[in-house]
Formats: sequence, structure tokens, C-alpha cells
Amino acid sequence: MTLIFTVFPFVSLIAQNEVTADTVIKNGQVINASDQVLTGYSYKNTAQITGSVSLVDPDLLTVIPSDNVGNLLQGRVSGVNVIGSGQPGEASRVRIRGFSSFLDNNPLYIIDGIPTRDISFLNPCDIERLSILKDAGSAAIYGSRASNGVMVITTRRGDEGFKVTYNMSMGMQLPGKGTKNDVLNTEEHADLQWLVYDNDGTVEVHPLYGPSTNSSPTLPPWAANTDWYDVMTNPAGIMNHNLTFSGGNEIAKFFAGFGAFKQDGIVLYTYNTRYTARINSDYNFLKNRIKAGESISISYSDKLNVPNLNENSPIQQGPYRSQSIIPVRWTGPDFAGFEHTFTEGDWGGTGIAPRLGNAPNVMADLTRNKDDYFRDLHLAGSIYLDVMIIEGLNFRSTLGGTWDKGSLSDYTYPTYERSENIPDTTLVESRAYNSDWIWTNSLVFNRQFGQHKITAIAGYEAVNYDIGRVESNLDSMEYTPTRLLSTFIKADYSFADRYLISATLRRDGCSRFSESDRYGIFPSFSAGWLMNKESFMSDLKWISTLKLRGSWGQTGNQYSLSPMNAVFQFDHSIGSSWYDLYGTFTSSVMGYYPSKIGNPDARWETSTITDIGFDAGVLNNKIEIAFDWYSKNATDLLYNPPVPATSGLGEAPYVNIASMKNTGVDMELSYRNRWNNFGLNTSFLLTAYKNKIYKITDDIEYFDSGVSRIGAFVRNEVNYPLSSFYGYKVTGLFQNQREVDNAPTQDGASPGFFRYENINQDEYINNLDRKHLGDPSPDFTYSLNFILTWKNFDLTTFFYGSKGNEIFNYNKWGTDFWSSFQGQKSKDLLYNSWTESDRSGSVPKASNSSNFSTNTQVCSYYIEDGSYIRLKNVEIGYNLPKAVLSRIHINSLRIFLQAVNLFIITDYSGLDPEIGGYDLYFGIDNGNYPNVRQLLFGIDFSL
Amino acid sequence: MKKKIILSIVILSLLVSSCGEKWLDIRPKDSVDQYYLANEDGINALLIGAYSMLDGVMEVGIGWEAASSNWLYGSIRGLEANKGTDSGDSWGGDPIKIYNELPTLQFLNTKWRSVYEAVSRCNGVIMVTNQALEDGTITQDKADLFLKQAKALRGWYHFDAWRMWGMIPYIDENTDSDEVTNTIDIRDKIIADLQEGTLLPDDMGAIGRFNGTVSKVLLAKALMQMYQNYDEALVLLSEVKTNRTKPDGSAIGLAPTYGEIFEIENRNGIEAVYTVQYSVNDGSGGWNGGYGEVLNFPYKSGESPGGCCGFFQPTQEFVNSFRTSGGLPLLDCSYNSDPVISDQGLAPADPFTEDTGELDPRLDWSVGRRGISYWDWGEHTGSDWVRDQSFAGPYSPKKQVYKKSQEGILTETESWTSGYTANGYRMIRFADVLLLLAECQIETDDLAGALSNINAVRARAKNPDGFVKESDGVTPAANYQVSEYPSFPDIEYARKALRMERKLELGMEGHRYFDLNRWGITVEELNRILDYEKTMPWGNRMYHMAIVGPEDINYPIPQRQIDLSNGRLKQNR
Repeated sequence: MTLIFTVFPFVSLIAQNEVTADTVIKNGQVINASDQVLTGYSYKNTAQITGSVSLVDPDLLTVIPSDNVGNLLQGRVSGVNVIGSGQPGEASRVRIRGFSSFLDNNPLYIIDGIPTRDISFLNPCDIERLSILKDAGSAAIYGSRASNGVMVITTRRGDEGFKVTYNMSMGMQLPGKGTKNDVLNTEEHADLQWLVYDNDGTVEVHPLYGPSTNSSPTLPPWAANTDWYDVMTNPAGIMNHNLTFSGGNEIAKFFAGFGAFKQDGIVLYTYNTRYTARINSDYNFLKNRIKAGESISISYSDKLNVPNLNENSPIQQGPYRSQSIIPVRWTGPDFAGFEHTFTEGDWGGTGIAPRLGNAPNVMADLTRNKDDYFRDLHLAGSIYLDVMIIEGLNFRSTLGGTWDKGSLSDYTYPTYERSENIPDTTLVESRAYNSDWIWTNSLVFNRQFGQHKITAIAGYEAVNYDIGRVESNLDSMEYTPTRLLSTFIKADYSFADRYLISATLRRDGCSRFSESDRYGIFPSFSAGWLMNKESFMSDLKWISTLKLRGSWGQTGNQYSLSPMNAVFQFDHSIGSSWYDLYGTFTSSVMGYYPSKIGNPDARWETSTITDIGFDAGVLNNKIEIAFDWYSKNATDLLYNPPVPATSGLGEAPYVNIASMKNTGVDMELSYRNRWNNFGLNTSFLLTAYKNKIYKITDDIEYFDSGVSRIGAFVRNEVNYPLSSFYGYKVTGLFQNQREVDNAPTQDGASPGFFRYENINQDEYINNLDRKHLGDPSPDFTYSLNFILTWKNFDLTTFFYGSKGNEIFNYNKWGTDFWSSFQGQKSKDLLYNSWTESDRSGSVPKASNSSNFSTNTQVCSYYIEDGSYIRLKNVEIGYNLPKAVLSRIHINSLRIFLQAVNLFIITDYSGLDPEIGGYDLYFGIDNGNYPNVRQLLFGIDFSL
Repeated sequence: MKKKIILSIVILSLLVSSCGEKWLDIRPKDSVDQYYLANEDGINALLIGAYSMLDGVMEVGIGWEAASSNWLYGSIRGLEANKGTDSGDSWGGDPIKIYNELPTLQFLNTKWRSVYEAVSRCNGVIMVTNQALEDGTITQDKADLFLKQAKALRGWYHFDAWRMWGMIPYIDENTDSDEVTNTIDIRDKIIADLQEGTLLPDDMGAIGRFNGTVSKVLLAKALMQMYQNYDEALVLLSEVKTNRTKPDGSAIGLAPTYGEIFEIENRNGIEAVYTVQYSVNDGSGGWNGGYGEVLNFPYKSGESPGGCCGFFQPTQEFVNSFRTSGGLPLLDCSYNSDPVISDQGLAPADPFTEDTGELDPRLDWSVGRRGISYWDWGEHTGSDWVRDQSFAGPYSPKKQVYKKSQEGILTETESWTSGYTANGYRMIRFADVLLLLAECQIETDDLAGALSNINAVRARAKNPDGFVKESDGVTPAANYQVSEYPSFPDIEYARKALRMERKLELGMEGHRYFDLNRWGITVEELNRILDYEKTMPWGNRMYHMAIVGPEDINYPIPQRQIDLSNGRLKQNR
């Protein structure tokens, strides 16, 4: 039976009463038990899968318009955590089942047989099947690239009968009120200065506001009242068009897809545009004895991104660091600033007058940078040949490759409006070329003898990637490529269609590994039991499916190991390695010194994964459950401990020495039913994991990450999870001097300032009194998807939530402490801070003091609960009735209205609790580009 | 048909699999690594990097703590000089001067890091040379020249560490970092390395390289210091005395006068055997210009050299040692009862009567003192040249300091101080060779030979052209009396004479402490001097309760290195 895909297969198929006991539906996609799913080099019946494999319905995937598949996976599959910002073109961080490395946790994507690690070129609308291999039973066949999980994607193929489809959605993104209610307006800022004078007892003449002895401040005539968030953001358009043609006959089939995606960012001048084209074709000769085909795609993108989550992020520099008094543009009579005389039309900035701080004018910067770009052209293609040698034995060969060219232009203009100006123009223009190829040959064996069924595949693969170079106007560099040579074998055995055993073995040789340890072996075993087929289960008619399964295996990660790690590198510097060899007195001859110590003995990192789970279907598969418990042990992790002087003073190399553990639970629960004209399809997904660092080196128990003005945010320590915040625990604010005197000695302690917990119970509060304060990994994430249909209407609501993730709100360092920069401050600091007369404030006393007890330390004040639940998508659609459509010879037409990110329920005080970062330190809000509400309408049409 | 297909598939797979292994060998691109440098030019550059550590200094914050001139670890520790400067200038090296250092002292960690960085550079040369030989990109002859220089340097650097710490690890190009230990006796490895250097030709085409002559002297020093092996050292030093050449092929001999040895322009002059080649105004901002000695200049602001920082002031005991009677030094140390008159406690404007007793002329080239011409800067005017007389006494260092006529020419201009100079440290000079030879002769019962060598050094000192003069340029600045020994009556006398001669000839040149260790008289001699210095007006504040014990002979192994070695390195105390 062939399935004709339209956007809502479920809807049309329900209408056609095609749901039966054998139908396996995952995430709303109808798949028959006999359907073939690509898991690791071969197709397998979904019922026969013994590993932990999740299938994602590509139609559910493409419901929210985005160009990046990673972004769209959030909440669609259990075991996968996706964190993304609202910046168009910024890839989300996709993590499968926790963390298995300090250095690299990105999953592997296989698209039509071509492995890649960057999926941004792929048009999500081109996807036919997406399966996620989460355990070793399913992923170990990918060997030393599979530790972080594997996503296997096949793109759409043609079918008999000509079809045209067109999908479109268009809408607006609304920036929202942003920081308007969080930060001070101009008058409030001056009032805050007066409060600080009061608190500190300072008497002076303020250069802008007048003498502090006045009862209230006066504003200078040029004072503006800028809402920086409002000024730098605008409602922004987003649209996605996708047009496909497909058709064919018995011998040849083709699919062609064209996509155009354009998203402006709410931050001015940021945008992402992408065009894709694909043509896939399949041929078979000699009655399916010989099959061949190709998949070719081309993708062109053009985007402009701004820095995110660091001090250069415009969201940080504008709303959180620029005072409201600063005008965006100068109006009024000429005025002499620090380095510039401002005249009408000039950009305003911190260079106008003293005490304005040193933030840039984000509008000026965004405007000056608007012609910067990053453009990428990506070609990907693969061809395959499948020859049936004899019945049950096929030879398969796939050859594929990609070619990518990225070009970057970054122009920096000199500034005049700042208190610290950029004097020079700089231009960086570069082009990066990268290509790779893969050739896989395999023999596939399929035989059934009575009750015994055997499938086996043996293969040989060569890969060469990172072939390329980067050239810029400053210099050029060639990449060091990596080559792989591998053999793999997989065997599946089933008895009576209910007892299943599977084993895989992969041997990977990689140029990055040490010569003595060049080949890694990655085995896996898995087994399954289709209990519902047992006779003792036949009375329990309400159980329609029950499969118990378990797996054990090992996968590896070669990406953490740099090809440069093995070599000694040398450098030179006049003061360190040059020598006046010829006795000239006033000149020296160039010499080299070892700048980096090589470790030629390093090899891959290993993950050993045990997985136990079950898939169950109840009441004719109306209710379905998939459940997994797993334990993922990552060992031989690369870490670079400091080396003794006897190794020389070069940079220390990475050695395979550390380890981490993850345990977790994935669950998918769904319910579907129909009554008369109503249909309901709901699913609930749960992802929970606990990560723990087990060992760093034999003597090193921790290392700090994420350095900032207040120290390191994170201490990665044995027995704690990755990226755990570490610092002082604030127990409250000192209420009076007596309390200060009775407390252990704490530098800077004073009424209204932080009181820290005395962890070691001694008489001093110092760096021995720090502890772990929370971590950004959630206790669990979950999603809830409802699809309700009534006659021709459909209503979808999709919630996504995260619980137990802590956020380090570093923005508060600037806004809640008067002495941190002379920048923007928060309403909290003015209205909720501790004063002598009102000691109930929760924010420390507004004071010019910068010391250990105020704003110089990492402490729990900045840490907030980031739990949230977001209505990611709500959509109402209407399918025009078949009667109407058939008159105009259209197969289906659906129109819909959609709201993305309609609302969010969270206690987090910042703009968006979904905060990414680096694996070693993330969840730190430093001007995060927020995800915002989108309102769209669209059309799905097929001919 | 089917069989053919199967067969062809099998053959294809075999073909494909056989191309395998070599295909996985990739060398990194665009990387200056051991493959890129595996050729004559690359190896030469690495070797130059290894030579450049002869000053002990590296621009990553390894400075005076590791200076190869050993002004702290050799001369101050040996009480030829004190720290100098003033009481408020607290300094990481303070514990060393009062024999009170802990293993956690950062100075010692820096010196250790400097030495082993140098060793690692030597091993880098050897590793890359072997790679080049394997790759066929260099001839065996050229490779041998590089290898011998690298090994000689490696031997020297290890020896430098040995004489500080005793229990040191030996690191060569094959050492596995997991197996580094300091509990085995590695002296023979140092000897073997230095022996390689003795096979080098004498004309190496560059003054900055090691040659056969230099290596022989270093080997002799090592044999004497580590084993008290005077017999073998005698052979080597005698060879050198007969046949000696500088690495650029030029001659070696005693300079006609004593003072001229220390002028910057003469650093590679006839007296030099090996001088560390400093350079200034070469773009290094002073890091190649004696960064290790930058603190050791008179403190006078204005018309005096350096201007900063007043360290390295000679001790009274050292100055007194230059007292002579009948031209001969007072070997019974009675000179301390007739101390050289100093301007301690006097302001420059106060009148001062100079000492008129007999003095060895070498005193006024080693020490700056009131009333005596100081190079071409005019007369030393006393307490205004010194940072704080009441803290460190009245004397100034002199040998390392530059002349006024050389300021800006042979001193660094691209820096805050002229204290970076091209006055390379005289690592080995010919007088040192003669005295080492004499020492060997004494210990092998050739007193006559020793007498003649020691007298050769004294005869040069006697050359009146080499006396410091008054401003008229003619009159000697003090009552200089120095004469040759008539005879050595016995071995004890000869030893005392030799030991005193080294103090007078090589004073303030970083040798003293290691000499005392070699002779086994460190504890008694230093305590004797300490007792005297403590009676000076500055004595108590400078030395307080300092006392020297046998555990102080070797410096402690830096604690940080013990920690980083996971306990494989053991403390030597």
C-alpha cells in the first residue's frame, strides 16, 4: 500500500478508515507494522526494531515555520533536548540523552546516506522519514561518530501518479514589550542616583542632575527617554514557501522540491533568507532486480546575525546597559561631548556627557553593520545502486558528497558617539570552502526459513571530510582533513515473528586516532520480545501491542579529538626564542620553541549505553506507550590537565582520561480516537535525564568554566552535573550593624548587603564557603500535543515545557547594582532595594560600593528557576470539502491561522527562559535574543 | 553469471580494503609541527631556540628568578653580595638570602620551569632531527652537528639544575612523562651529553654556538662539581689550555688588563670562552638584553647608570677580602680586622677619607665605592648611588654595568630602563679555565703547575694599565698592591690560595655558592661570613636570624612540581 502524503495524513486516513490493529502510529504518522524504516544502513520493519528508535512525523515537524530541522525537533521526540534563541538563522543546540563529552556533544545526521554535522542546509519540507537512533543497539553501527546519537533522514521520493503540492505560511513576529517594565526610564534613573546619594551619604554636584543637596534631580535639556528594546526591535515578517512536484511510473520516479524561506529578526537588520532546490529520482530495471537513484540538493542562504549571550550582544548592550537618558539620535542645538560635537542627526551615545557609561549605541551599530553578511552555498548529492544478486541477497553501493562555500563580510566603522570610541575602520572578508565524500558498499541478506527470519548486512565504507580551506583578506589556512575506513556487520534474527535478536559490530579506522590505536571496535547487542503475539496474551484482547526490548553496546566520538592534538607545534617570539648567534649586539636570529605539546596516543571517546524499554499499544492501539530507561556511561573523555615543567612550557595536550555518566527515562504516550465527526490525537512526551561527572583525572576533582567579571560561573566537578553553577549562597541581606558584627567576618559586610552562608562553619567567609548552586539542565522536559478534528476543521495545540532548569541571570549584575558600570539599572533596584527606612527590600542597598558583599562574586542572587511551559503552537485549519475541490480538480486545500509562542508561563524575570550557551557553561542569560510571539496564516494545497 | 558477479564484488572489496592503512596517515596542514620543521633550516631554528634559553629568560614571565648569571643563587647566596635595595621592597627572593626558603617559593618554581623548558627545546631539536633523518630530508653529517650541539646544551641545562637541586629528573627525547622521577642518579647521563659536545669542531662559524672547547670546559666543570673527578677534568682542561678556540674560530687568552674584560664591546673579546649573547634594540623590548640582571644597577636618579633598582650590593666581607699584604691576600681571613674604610653613614656632601691600605686592584672593577671612578660616569659619590645605605651598605655592583658612552647604543632604547644591555653574561672566561686547571692540579699533587697558573692570573691583575685611575687618568685610584705567589708550601696552603683567588678574580660573577659546595665548606664559610656581616650597621635587618645548615646546601624541589608529578618527584630535604 502506498501512502500519498499530504499535510495531514492522519486526517485524510482517518476519513478513509485505514486505522487497524496493525497500524503503528508514532507521533501521528501512520506507519504500518510492515513498513520499512531506515535504521542504520538498512530498512527494518518498525515492529522488528529492538533498539531505541524514535520516529518523527515530518509533517508535525514542519508545522512551525523554520529553516532548521534542529529547531523544529523541540518537543517532538523524547530523549532529545533542543534549546534555541529567537535569532533567525541561529542553529539550535540539539542534545540526545544528556552529555557524553566535555568537548563535543553534537549529534550525527545522515541525510540520504551522507553524514553531516550541520543540518542547516536541509529544507525540513523535503524530509520523508526522520528516525533518531538513541541507544547503542541502533546507533553503534555508526561506530566512532555515534556517541551523541544519530538522526537518519531520507528525503522525499517520487511515486506513481503526478502530484503537485504547495505549502505556504506567512506572518509577523511581535517583539513584545521586552524590558519596558524591568528597567528604568530617565526620571527614575535620576531618582535612583538620589537614592544612592542618600544611602551612601555622598554630597556632590552631579554633572547631569545637579547638586545632590537638591531634594530631587533635574534633567539636562537634551535628556531623552529611550526605550532601547523598543527602539531596536520591530515587528518582523516571516514566510515560508514550498512547492513540490512528483511523479513517475513503474520504472522511474522523481521528486522535485523548491523552498524559499525568509525571516527577518525582531532585532533590526537581522535576517535569514534561504532558498533550496532538490531533485530526487529512482529507477528500477529488470523488475526491481536493479535499482538506482540519486538525491541532489542545492541550498543558498544569506543571513546577518548579531552576537548572542555575551557582552557584545545588542540585547545586552541596548536594553540592559544603555541608559534611557541617551537619545538614539541627537536633536537640538550643537553640543560638545567628549570626543565629538554632536549636531542634529548624529547618533547619540555615551560620549555626550559624563556618567553615561560606556555602552555602544546599538541602533548605530546595527545600522552601520547592516551590510555585513554571511552567505552560504551548499551542494549535496548522493547516488545509489542496489543490485539483487540472487533472491534474498542484494549488493548496495552509495556514493555521496557535499560541497560548501561560505562567505563572510564584517565591516567595522569608526565611531564618534561613544565615551570609548573605535578609531579605525576594519574589514574582514573571508571565504571558507569545505567538502566531503562518502562511499559505502554493502551486501544485504534476507532469508526466511519457516519461523526463522534472518537479515544480515555487511559493509565497507570510506569517508573523507573537512577537505577545504578558509581564505580571508588577512591570511589563509588549509583545513586538515579526516579520513575514515570502516567495516561493519549487522545481523537480525527473529523466531516466529516474536523473538528478536540483533547484533552489530563496527570497526572504524580514523586518521585522527593514534597510530598504535588506529582502529576502534564498537559492538552492540539487542533483543526484543513481541509479547502480544504469545498465546497466553491472546485473551488480553485489550492489549494490541506489547514489545519488550533491551540493548547494550558501545559507540564512540571522534569529533572531540582534534587532528592537531597529536603533533607538537612550534612558534617563535623575539623575546623568547631568538638569539644573537653571531654576536652583533643589536640584532638576533630567529629561533623556534615548542608552543604546544603533542599527544600522539590519543583516541576516541567511548559511550557504553544500556537501554531497557517497552512499546505497548492498548485498545486497538488507541493508546500507545513507548518507554525507555537508559544508562549512558561515557569514558576515555578528552581533557587537558596541566603538565609538569619537565614536559616543557608548551600548551598541554588532551588525553583520554575523564568520564561522565547519564541515566534517564524517555517516554512517549499517545491517544487517538474518533467518534462520528470528531477525531482526537494527543501525545505526551517526557524526557528526563541526570548527568554526572564521574572523573576528570586521578588528581583533579574539578575545573572552572565560564569566566566573567565576577569569576567563573561554573565549576565542573566530580559527582556534579556538567555546567553546575558554583559560588556563594546568599542567605539574606544584613539588616543592621549588630547582625554584621555577630556574623563571621565577611569582607565588605554592611547593612543592606549580601550575607553569605558559612559553609565550613569557621569564622571567615571566604572562597572556602562556596557551593554548587544549581544547574541549567532540566529535571525533565515535556510536551503535550493535541490535534482535534471536527468535520473539516482541525485545531492543534502544542505545549512544550521544561522543569527544574536553573538560569544564571547575569543581566542582573549590570542592572541591580549601581556600582557595576554606569549603565542601565532596573526598577527593582529603585523600588525594591533595601534602605535604612524600609528593610524589606530583596535587592541589596543601592550604593556605590563594589566589594565582596555586593557585586564582585558569583552568588545565588543571580540564579533563578527557569522552569516554563510555553504554548508553542496553536493552529486552526479548515480543509475545503472534497466536493468543492473536485470541481476545480484540486486534491486538497487547507487554510489555517496559527500563533507560535502564543504565551509562556514562567517565573523567570528575563526575556526568555530558553537559554543556550556552551556545554561546559550554559543557561547564562547575557542578553539573550528572545523567542517571540508569531501570528501567521497559510495555505496547504495539493493537485 | 551470478558467480561472476560475486567474484567481482569480492575482488573489488579486497582491492578497496588493501588501499587502506596508509590512506589514514595524514599530517596536519598549515601547522608548524615536527614534520614542517624536519629539515636543515627548521632544525637550525629549533636549535637557536635552545641556545636562546642560555640567559634563562623567556618572555612569558620568566625573568630574574631564572637568570643564568646566577647573581641570586650563586653570588648572593654565596655572600659576595646582599640583596641590596631597601626594606620596603619586599621581594620573592628574600627567603633565599636568609637561607630560609620553603619549597613553595615561587622563585624556585620559575627557575625549575626555565631549566626544563630549555631541556625540552633541546629534546625538540633531537626529535625533529630524527624525524628528518627518517624522512631523508637531511644528511647524516649535518644532523650529527645539530645533535651534538643539542646534547651539549641539554647536558649543560641539566647540570645547571643539578648544582641547584641535586635530585633532579633527567629528560631526554624518549622520556615518557608518566615515568619522570628524580630518585635515580643521573649524573652519568649529564656527562654523556656533555661528552657529545666535546666532539664538535672548534670552528662552528658562529660565536653563539657551543664548540669543542666550550664543551670540554663544561664537561670538566661537571666532572669536578658532581664527582670531584679531578683526574679526568685535568686532562680536559690541559687540552683546552693547549688548544683553545672560540666558536667563531677566534683565539682565546688572558686579556691584557682586568677591567677591559667587562666592557660590553669586549664581551666576545680574547678572554671569552663562551659568553651568553645578549642583544638590544632588536625588537625584543629588552627581553634579550639581560632581563635577568635588570634590577642590578645603582639607584641614583640622574647621572648614573641604570637608575633602578639598587639590587645586588657587595658585602663588606667581600670588599675586605681584597686587602693585601705584600701584594698577597690574607688567607687566614684576618682582613676583617682591617676592614676597608667605607662611607657608611655619610652623606655625599660629608667629607670622606678613602682607604689607603694595600688593596688588590681587582676590587675596584668588582665593586663601586665612594671616591673611585665608576667606568666613565665619574666618581662614585657615595650614598646617593645607593638606595638605602642603612639597609644594605654603601657599595654598588659594577661588572655588569654599562658605560655612559654606550647608553642608547648598547642598551635598550625601546623600554622604560637602560638596564637592558648587550653585556652578555661571561659564562666561561679564560681566567676561570686557568683556575679550574689549577684546582685540578692541586688535587692531583701538581702544586707547581697550580702555582704557575694562579700566578698567570695574578700577573695579569698586576698590569698597572688595568688599574682604575683617578680623574687625571694616570694616578691609580687606590693603593693597589698585587703580586704573584712565591711558592705553595703545602697542599692546604695551595687550596686556600686557589679558593681565595677564585673569589678575587671571579667575584660577583655567580660562581661562589657552587664553588663552596664543590669544596664542601659551604656551611662553615657562610656562617663565618654571616657572623661578620651581622655586625655591620645593616647586618641585623638584612640577615636577622639567618644561619646556614647542611640542609641548605641544595635548594628544595619546588612543591608545585611535586604536586604536578602526582608524587613521582620526591623532596630532597
